[in-house]
Amino acid sequence: MKSWHRYAMLIVGGIAVGIGAAWTLTNGGLGDGSVRNGPWTTSLGYGTKATDPLTRAMVARSGLLALPAKETVYWLATTDASGAPLDGNCRYSLSGTPLDARWWSITVYDGAGYLVDNPARIWSVNGANVAIDANGMWRVAIAPDKPRDQAWLPGIKGQPFQLTLRMYNPGRAFRADPAKAVLPRLVKEGC
Amino acid sequence: MRGWLRPLVLGLIVAVATGWAAIAALPYGLMTIAMDRLGQGGINSMSYGNLATPERQPVVRPSPDLAYSACPYDLSKGPLAIDFAPVPGRYSSLSVFDAATDVIFVRNDVEAGGRPFRIIVARGDQAVPAGAEIIRTDHDRGIALVRLLLKDPSEMGGLDAARRQSSCGTVTKLK
Repeated sequence: MKSWHRYAMLIVGGIAVGIGAAWTLTNGGLGDGSVRNGPWTTSLGYGTKATDPLTRAMVARSGLLALPAKETVYWLATTDASGAPLDGNCRYSLSGTPLDARWWSITVYDGAGYLVDNPARIWSVNGANVAIDANGMWRVAIAPDKPRDQAWLPGIKGQPFQLTLRMYNPGRAFRADPAKAVLPRLVKEGC
Repeated sequence: MRGWLRPLVLGLIVAVATGWAAIAALPYGLMTIAMDRLGQGGINSMSYGNLATPERQPVVRPSPDLAYSACPYDLSKGPLAIDFAPVPGRYSSLSVFDAATDVIFVRNDVEAGGRPFRIIVARGDQAVPAGAEIIRTDHDRGIALVRLLLKDPSEMGGLDAARRQSSCGTVTKLK
């Protein structure tokens, strides 16, 4: 093999490896950040100039036009409370108390961060449409089929899915220590 | 084997440089795509998008609870004026993202005291109207985004006129 063949091969290979590595490194998703709370993760550096190039590229891929943390905190969950990946064929109980924010919502997305159609045309629940019980709790079933007597957030049949929890104008107490804040519980009930 | 050492080192350097360049370029590329998708009304004018559904997702991870209005802008022909009109009693905000995806401005309805306001987005060297609130940027291009929170998708019809009070356009008069 001639010398320039070797150079050409490894330059082309280097470009391919570089692009592949960039794609893999930026695939972390919205929640692959510094703060962890149960199954939820976030980074509080979104949308600010302080964000390093890698975080910026990750956010651009998974949450372009995301707001900074003072305005909105975006939490991502790809697993349930036990750490098992969220499966659209399983039933989950999502429950909690009203969150420390002016408004909050939880949305179901596919693995790439897009909405997927379902017969009910429902993709999210929010602080204005969950029912609060006598104990001050709300409870929603994430399941492929509508449960008989529970609020329903459709899962994505036959696919893994992920949840994004948005907290608009989070409270001061929350912002002081997001890792210890009380966030919704997400427990698998069966498949 | 010795003949491979130099090409291998070069390949490694090329890989690191390419990876770094791709990571640095990615936000700009994705921003350009988003400007095209959101800018159905063209550049430097506000598009009042429908609610996100599986059939309509101009950007990744759209919130189905938000009515998004978007103004993709290009300052090469002059500064941009953005008028924001909050809708009483509900969360709304104006945010401006530059070509690198960085947030250069955010203000919500509460911070605005529930009142409409105007900002001018301009390059460092552009002349701007006197007395206006000026946001200076290093980039020509970007997206201004108005978010309006809905309690239910059915509210959209009733709130559409109110959200159309927010607008944007190139500044043509300096006085």
